[in-house]
Amino acid sequence: MKMADNDELENLFAQARQERPALPEDLAVRIETDAEAVRLRRLNATGRPARRSWLQAFEGVGGWRVLGGLVAASAAGVWIGFSAPAFLPDPANFIYAQETTFLVADLNLDADFLEAEE
Amino acid sequence: MEDLTSHPEQARGGSAAMPEPSDDALLGRFADGDAMAARLLTDRLGPRSFSVALRMLGNRSEAEDITQEAMMRLWQMAPDWVPGQAQVSTWLYRVTLNLCVDQRRRKRPQTLENAPEVQDGAASVVDRMQDDARKDALQTALGQLPERQQQAVILRHIEELPNPEIAGIMDISVEAVESLIARGKRALAASLAGRRDELGYENG
Repeated sequence: MKMADNDELENLFAQARQERPALPEDLAVRIETDAEAVRLRRLNATGRPARRSWLQAFEGVGGWRVLGGLVAASAAGVWIGFSAPAFLPDPANFIYAQETTFLVADLNLDADFLEAEE
Repeated sequence: MEDLTSHPEQARGGSAAMPEPSDDALLGRFADGDAMAARLLTDRLGPRSFSVALRMLGNRSEAEDITQEAMMRLWQMAPDWVPGQAQVSTWLYRVTLNLCVDQRRRKRPQTLENAPEVQDGAASVVDRMQDDARKDALQTALGQLPERQQQAVILRHIEELPNPEIAGIMDISVEAVESLIARGKRALAASLAGRRDELGYENG
């Protein structure tokens, strides 16, 4: 009987190893959906809350990536609050400005303005 | 030697470099209600099950269903898993292989019964399987091996598992694994040589 030589077989194995398939994304989703169904069913059956539920909630709103963005935005806000760049008005002025309350009524619009409408 | 370091678990979104929890630990976390553990286990173990199922069956959609079912059984057995007794991957490989065997047994008689009305239904099925596999000489040759030889060769030479782990998966001795692999490789070599001759006639 003829035989393929050992090198040929080893080459085919090597090729097969390199061609090992990735997990198709839709299959991964199906698998994770099953896992979630099993997990929830089990939690309902035992009646206890999920451990690390805060972590899952955290992942649910975007996880570390979103948290990183929030931290950066908050840090920027704090920095701007403390040292307003030249091109931004000093936020302190807004606060003081609001203290000198003025109402629409103070503008004394009633007479001329309303008459003009009529 | 070839670069064999690429692992299929990298197929889907790698996470940040952190100490990797063991499969055991992740399964325990899943059993305790941690949804993220399921995602990590899917990324880590799903590709292995899929790779073996695809090699065993040579059919993508069947292999996908087998992997989904094997992983489903993993989720279901998680609370009963005893850490440290065996590797989770060993368990999953075994379940995957058993499901593949079941799938073939289910399929064979049905395929022949449902074959179109031709003189020789079996021959047409074989032709179709050969067509599907024509691109991959190894796949065709593997498909002709006895089931246990096929399993042992795939686990050793494509999944690159050590013989003791294969013995655990197949529930046989290491010596029996070695014997299956040796016989399987001899048969593969003969089949590939024969096929080369055939192709000389068929494809000209």
